[in-house]
Amino acid sequence: MAVNGSVPNGTAEAPIEVPALPTVIGVNFGNSYASIAEGLPESIANEDGERQIACAIAFHGEETYIGNQAKQQLVKNASNTIVGFRNLLGKKYSELPKDTATASAPVIQHPDITDEPAYKVQVLQASPSPLPSAVNTKTNTPAVSQTATPRSEPVLVDRVLTPSEVTVIFLKSLLQSAEDFLGKKVDGAVITVPSWFADNQLEALRKAAHAAGINVLQLLEDAGAAAVTTTSGPQAAGLNPDRTQLVVDLGASSLSLTLLSIRHGLFHPLASSFDPTIGGDQIDNKLIKFFAKEFTKKTKTPLAVCPSSDKADIRAEARLRLALEHTKRTISASPGAATCSVESLKDGLDFTGTINRMRFDMEARPIYSAVYSKARELVESVGLDFLHVDEVVYVGGSACLPGLDETLAQGYPESTVTAFASGTIVGGGVGDPTTLLARGAALQAKLLAEIGHSGEDEEVRRAFEQGSKWAAVKATSRTIGILFPEEGADAAGLGGQWIGVVPAETAVPVRRSLSFDVDLGDDAGEKKVGFEVWEVKEGIKVEKVKQPRDEDEELEEDEEEDDEIEVKEKTIEKDIHLASLVLTAKHAQKQKGRWRTKLEVQVLLGADGAVEISAWEVGKEGKGEKTSVSVPSL
Amino acid sequence: MADIVQIPTVIPPLPPNWSPKPASGKSVSPLVDRKLIPAGPAYLAHIRRAVHNLSFEEHDK
Ligand SMILES: Nc1ncnc2c1ncn2[C@@H]1O[C@H](COP(=O)(O)OP(=O)(O)OP(=O)(O)O)[C@@H](O)[C@H]1O
Ligand SMILES: [Mg+2]
Repeated sequence: MAVNGSVPNGTAEAPIEVPALPTVIGVNFGNSYASIAEGLPESIANEDGERQIACAIAFHGEETYIGNQAKQQLVKNASNTIVGFRNLLGKKYSELPKDTATASAPVIQHPDITDEPAYKVQVLQASPSPLPSAVNTKTNTPAVSQTATPRSEPVLVDRVLTPSEVTVIFLKSLLQSAEDFLGKKVDGAVITVPSWFADNQLEALRKAAHAAGINVLQLLEDAGAAAVTTTSGPQAAGLNPDRTQLVVDLGASSLSLTLLSIRHGLFHPLASSFDPTIGGDQIDNKLIKFFAKEFTKKTKTPLAVCPSSDKADIRAEARLRLALEHTKRTISASPGAATCSVESLKDGLDFTGTINRMRFDMEARPIYSAVYSKARELVESVGLDFLHVDEVVYVGGSACLPGLDETLAQGYPESTVTAFASGTIVGGGVGDPTTLLARGAALQAKLLAEIGHSGEDEEVRRAFEQGSKWAAVKATSRTIGILFPEEGADAAGLGGQWIGVVPAETAVPVRRSLSFDVDLGDDAGEKKVGFEVWEVKEGIKVEKVKQPRDEDEELEEDEEEDDEIEVKEKTIEKDIHLASLVLTAKHAQKQKGRWRTKLEVQVLLGADGAVEISAWEVGKEGKGEKTSVSVPSL
Repeated sequence: MADIVQIPTVIPPLPPNWSPKPASGKSVSPLVDRKLIPAGPAYLAHIRRAVHNLSFEEHDK
């Protein structure tokens, strides 16, 4: 109670109302796996302890399984197990490719809805309870003696589900897992979507999420979620806030590549591609064949897989496919060998096979190489080279495989930053490809949850919606920078110190501020600082360089020619002189016999293309006088 | 305030005979149309500026 009597008796201190921040989550909803995250670096586990939750639903008798347990049903109960439903959202039956072999419940034309895809599964349904006695007696008085009808056995019935209905069940269970894990109600979610999802697919997902009880804050494209994660938090050494990022998303059934221009936290795609023939499933096929051969060698039991047609072979293949999940994770996590164990693989025979990383990579090489070619194609499609890829971001389960990065490393330069090089890929590090999307979505959810509710805030919020006019911007097509002329600088070069300020592919309006130490020489007279502003042409120079040979390496005559290697280098050429700026240094300080000052330069590039370049010294008393020059608008 | 990028290299003195080249009067090369991905704090800042029609300086305050 009040000690000094300043608080009158009987008055409770009014509790300060702190509006609780809403609980929001990020959901990575893949076609094969989903994951959920809140603010934490780790993603959320469901009740089975899974963080990569299989997008699968299986019906067995009266039971419904969701997630990895449902996937297990693909062995013995495949026709009642539904997978791959996300990609069918918003699709018409007539749009789907027919005659695709499936190891799960097939997609059929919905019996009642025109041109609607559906799955037909068999479930056990409790039979309806006996009809009330009212049917038997004309009055409402109960019959005197009526033997209780025994509850009859549940009956097997067909259940027809559309991809949307399956999605609702699945998302509901994700939401439940998140709420159980967090111990509170979830107020909203950002859900990731592939960049190729058309409007009706987005609409179908939005509806399904709504029906599942999720308040959708935003449907965010996968690459955007990856960019959010990789531009927030501490940045890896050598990462410039202006950079070109290649997002390599290798999932189970597809490869998505996105080349992003990242400019101080703003990002836009330069190019993207999608290939549904490259993915973890293809790696699985190779390994299934590998292990099936091993099995036959060990047991003398024939096993024909990928494709398999015999019933026992089909089951064996399904068992191997499930077991490989563990094998692949072991290969990703450690350099040692990995095993693949299946109880009763075929004819009651157990199987345990081993594969080392070298052999694994040999099997997976065609897939790695396909990713490499696609990446190269993408980069070249916008007139760039691997040399311009400053960062590779790996997303998706199959991108955990180190062999993939080793393959791509043959293309990108040594300076390129990847989570493999930074050592953040394994053990739930910030570069973990299996949690990156959900974490990005969670960060985005938090950002959106903090926007207020005034009229203008609503306008701001709408700017995050699909196709918002605010997302359409103009960007620079060339790099603009400043050149500090230097005495005796290589005349063939630029003639001084070049500093790129606004790189090509930067959205406008943009403001950039730089700060430098300037050496003003040892002269006591008037000291000037000056620089030129240029727009430059960037290119690539390819040179054949003779490779230094190992001294004791013995060479055959015909190997001589292989000695030349190609060395690529980025080039810069001055093209348009935009302006020059000069100012007199008034705040120079003498250090070790030389005059020095600190200079700040600001470049403002407007939406109309006009540029204003300003510079000022920063002395002991703060900012000095500002000098500006400008470049006319377009 | 804007992020100020610290440039690690020390700028050498101007050549004694250097004088500023007169401006060419040219503008930057034509801008291109792009679509930002609506995500991240920088996009939010970009939108706040745009919606309220603020300059960078006004937005700093
Ligand atoms: N640690 C790992 N190492 C290797 N492969 C893995 C690892 N974790 C998951 N995978 C594989 O990654 C694939 C799943 O990737 P992801 O979760 O990105 O799927 P997705 O985005 O739903 O896929 P898609 O939409 O392409 O079908 C599966 O083939 C799975 O076996
Ligand atoms: Mg995916």
